[in-house]
Amino acid sequence: MSASAVQPLERNGGGRKSNWVRALTSGAAIVTLLYVVLYALYALWEPRALSSYTFTNLINNAAPLAIAAAGETLVVLSRGFDLSVAGVVSLTNVFMAVWPMEGPGGALISLLGCCAIGAVVGTVNGWLVAVLRLQTIAATLGTMIVCQGLALVILDAPGGMVADWVSYELTGTLFGVVPIAGLIIAAVALLWLVFLRTNTGIGIYAVGADEQAAMLSGVSVTRVRFAAFVGAGMLYGVAGFMLSAQTATGNPNAGAPFLMLVFAAVALGGTSLSGGRGGLIGSIVGAGCLMLLQKVLFSGGVSSFYTGIFQGFVLILAILFGRFMPRLFNAGAKK
Amino acid sequence: MVRDGQAALAVRAVSKSYGATVALEGVDLVLQPGEVHALLGENGAGKSTLVKILSGVVRPDGGAMTLAGSAFQPRTILDSRSHGVATAFQELSLLPNLTVAENLMMPRMPRGRTGLASASAARLAASEILRRYDLARIDADETVSALSLADRQRLEIVRAMEHATRVLVLDEPTAALSEVEWLFGLIRQITARGVAVLYISHRLAEVRALCSRATVLRNGRSIATVDLAGASDADIFEMMVGRAVRNEKAPRPLRDSAAPASLAVAGLAGGQLKEVSFTLRQGEVLAVAALEGQGQRDLFRILAGLARPAAGSIHIDGKPTVLRNPQGALKAGRGIAYVPEERKTEGILSSLTAAGNITLPVAGRISRGGLVWSGLEAKAAASVAGSVDLAARYLSFPIADLSGGNQQKALLARTLLTGAQTLLLFDPTRGVDVGTKQSIYAAIRRFADAGGSVLFYSSELPEVTDLADRCMVLYGGRIFAEFHGEDLEEQRLVGALVGHAAVPKGMPRKAGLETGS
Amino acid sequence: MSVSEPKGAAFQASADLRRGGGISRETTNAIIVFGLSILLILGSRFVSPALGSWSQVLTVLMLASFLIVLSFGQGLVILVGGLDLSIPAVITLGGVLATGWAGGGGDWYVLPAILAICGLVGAFNGFGVTVLKIPPFIMTMATSIILASAALGYTSGTPRGASPAAMTALMKTTWVGIPVVVYFVLLFVLAGWLLQSRTVFGRKLYAIGANDQAARVAGVAIGPVTTQAYVVSAICAGFVGMMLVGYANGATLRMGDNYLLPSIAAVVIGGSSILGGRGSFIGTVGGAVLLTTLGTVIAAIGLEQGWRTVIEGGIIVAALFFMREEFFARLRRPKRS
Repeated sequence: MSASAVQPLERNGGGRKSNWVRALTSGAAIVTLLYVVLYALYALWEPRALSSYTFTNLINNAAPLAIAAAGETLVVLSRGFDLSVAGVVSLTNVFMAVWPMEGPGGALISLLGCCAIGAVVGTVNGWLVAVLRLQTIAATLGTMIVCQGLALVILDAPGGMVADWVSYELTGTLFGVVPIAGLIIAAVALLWLVFLRTNTGIGIYAVGADEQAAMLSGVSVTRVRFAAFVGAGMLYGVAGFMLSAQTATGNPNAGAPFLMLVFAAVALGGTSLSGGRGGLIGSIVGAGCLMLLQKVLFSGGVSSFYTGIFQGFVLILAILFGRFMPRLFNAGAKK
Repeated sequence: MVRDGQAALAVRAVSKSYGATVALEGVDLVLQPGEVHALLGENGAGKSTLVKILSGVVRPDGGAMTLAGSAFQPRTILDSRSHGVATAFQELSLLPNLTVAENLMMPRMPRGRTGLASASAARLAASEILRRYDLARIDADETVSALSLADRQRLEIVRAMEHATRVLVLDEPTAALSEVEWLFGLIRQITARGVAVLYISHRLAEVRALCSRATVLRNGRSIATVDLAGASDADIFEMMVGRAVRNEKAPRPLRDSAAPASLAVAGLAGGQLKEVSFTLRQGEVLAVAALEGQGQRDLFRILAGLARPAAGSIHIDGKPTVLRNPQGALKAGRGIAYVPEERKTEGILSSLTAAGNITLPVAGRISRGGLVWSGLEAKAAASVAGSVDLAARYLSFPIADLSGGNQQKALLARTLLTGAQTLLLFDPTRGVDVGTKQSIYAAIRRFADAGGSVLFYSSELPEVTDLADRCMVLYGGRIFAEFHGEDLEEQRLVGALVGHAAVPKGMPRKAGLETGS
Repeated sequence: MSVSEPKGAAFQASADLRRGGGISRETTNAIIVFGLSILLILGSRFVSPALGSWSQVLTVLMLASFLIVLSFGQGLVILVGGLDLSIPAVITLGGVLATGWAGGGGDWYVLPAILAICGLVGAFNGFGVTVLKIPPFIMTMATSIILASAALGYTSGTPRGASPAAMTALMKTTWVGIPVVVYFVLLFVLAGWLLQSRTVFGRKLYAIGANDQAARVAGVAIGPVTTQAYVVSAICAGFVGMMLVGYANGATLRMGDNYLLPSIAAVVIGGSSILGGRGSFIGTVGGAVLLTTLGTVIAAIGLEQGWRTVIEGGIIVAALFFMREEFFARLRRPKRS
């Protein structure tokens, strides 16, 4: 690597940033700000926006994408792309619709089943990428297509019924105010904060920044990559589970829309697609923004035909903005 | 011969091949406890492979290693570390996006009460380590990417020293350090505790100051282990290269100081460059000498069209010019071509052949009717390969398969083929062997003799004094001094490099100030 | 000769070895992929007598034509280290505009004008990637989302109109018993190969993909050249949209959806590095033909869609597995006792 290329020109200008500047200019902070702005707009145009019912709906809508994006973040941070997200979501959705299991016990078994499916796919990905050293986009493209195929084998057309307990309870609220889906997202975020403080968690950032240097620092690159893919796969499983709760039915192509949106959420959340920088919470909020944007546009009177145009430009602007903000602060600090 | 049992580390007949490429073939090396032992050799002699084997990154195909008498077969870098063998790598193994503390603790963070990695525990432990190595000024919470290159190198060294209880391997540890006393002091401390140090450096003066014995590698074999006191520089070079080195300074005809200027800059600034004005004439070889980070990089990048100046003017062949990009620089006046500092990242295109690399800037010239013809390509490449001493049979090889020296020759050939009459060469002989250096010097002289202008930067003073007609010393982003003729002499340059106008006698070659601190 | 020889000699061994086979990695790859396609067609004769015939070969070539044209553009973008995810949306754009503006007939300049519009989309991608420095993955995805939405709005959900006469002629007529589109695709392959491997433009694409910093230093105009790759890709995708319209005599809003992943897969199976700088169009063509052959054979055997998809995915993984550097190194390495 070119050591000189990354050498900061001014040690005292670029380097010493106070913690609050760092925090404020982080991707997660920017995307949270975006979420708040969007929500304010939404509330302006749609008075019901502040009701618990609307909020629960928003969270329910965003939960599958948010959790899938959280999983994708693990792989992106370790400098990889995981396309299998679409396959796993389809497969788990079909699994939920073809073999519904009633009651809380059934729901738990279903959830474990979904996680297991994701873990198996993640293990295969990990093996292809970490052991056989295949390119991540290409390898996960293969596993994604295989999973899509399997979903079609299990259920060749949309249909089936997700267990009632899952589709009712998981889209409801606790004490009438706290959305269950929100609790599950919070649990994912909490697990992430714990994971961040493990050697493997730090290892993901190390591998993402510079695989060679990480290896020479004693990090087991193979183990870290495996962990990233398996963790990601399990989260896709949970995403498929939540999607099933929301749609209450099965669709062998349910995961297809996730492919692009997941990366949009990750990028929006401030995670660098070249690895080593960012975090999972930003991706979750990023997913929330993408879903909220649709509602805002609708309530603002924009035809649903054109929401994509806004989504696309928001994505581009968010990336430019996320890059511009830290520079702005740096320039200020130098003066 | 010393018995292996007493040795801190003994390497016997170690060999390693990558596919059909033999990297090491029968290497013997014995380190005594408390010894600083130099490992010398040209690039490609096998030094880095040996380092990787000792660190557990690569496993040897044959041979045996013992550590304090017991067999040593590290399978991973941690394995090697747990045996007390640690390495400060040349390419630095730090993670730029993590903090100093995290890097020092890698790969296992200290745990807090919850059983999870604790940032505060890591900070405490790291600060303690930094303090012990006289680096308390470095903040353990700082991200490594915010440190200067020199501090990163120090951190790499500190991390290795922390783990080296038996053997410390230092691979070019002073590449980014402009003063070495800090390192030498630490090495003295650690050897006093009985740790053996394997010291790899291209700088023979440093090696002589530190080490008493040296092992020389050539073509993957250990040629000899010598007492440095009894070996002259010429002896050592001969062992490294396999034949005596030509060392005469080619007599230079005096340059015509009235020759037209090919490049004239006035008040140039940008990045670390504060204000620089000079004129480069046709047929002149002008050197830039500077310690790390005095603005030389910005000067070359601006003139190559890779960066924009913040102020100042550039005249090329008498005309004021704005250099927007490298292709603009190639077309400006009679052309400016640049050989970059980093061969791997900015120089070669590894998946193309050597000929493809050489002809890239003039691709239009090797095409007829819109198509590229390999015959024309080969002819164009061959037309310049001779002038840099690059064997024609290498032209059809993927450039990644050539040695670093041959790659550098190809890059120089590329600039010659463009027909540009001004060459910018940034450290053109960095990391190339002695023979290639001679070929490159000869090519540069021929180019200047034919009326071309050369501006080059070099980190090696003998290169400056041997090759240049005139030398500017950059200090703090300004031209601090200028030497030519008789004055162009190492002792004088040394003083100017560190910002002393008067030159005290017998000053060490690299001393004093350092960038940014 | 210089003293760097010994080192050179050590490396020369490996270089000679690489050249010793006389054929490059890319060529080997292409031969394997084409060989597999032929074996598959011949082999399918045993499964069903209707298969393995000349007419099946023509059908495969005709069906593969879409993918060949698409993956040429995708291949150029991948060659410079990018990725074009906007392909499905541009296919739809080409198709929707072709039916909308030139349905049934159309003036001679309408189709080129539509291709020019598609080219503008590519230029937009290139602008985002090279000037705004947005990662290609995100930039082309954003374009895709924007464009799909625009097409939806433009058509209000249902594209109208029929195929332009020229496209119907290309896709539906035969000459000397062979579909005209087969001649077209053969010419396209020749032109595409020349463009990628034998022109200055192609040479610059390889250089940028291999090392963009170094290419810049060597005087390659990174921004414009990279942008041109995206423009070519978008024009290819737009043309495929028209071809599909000619084939199916109408456009739909989702007509491009099933082509994104195969366009990447064909390039990868054809032996290109997804990281750029390596690959040949001939290999990509082989990948496209293999994927199409596989599709038709599986469909003819009567396997259901699901298993067909599973096998396709498996083929991609297997192709990657066999195309690893180490595997090739092993093939090249002489056996030692």
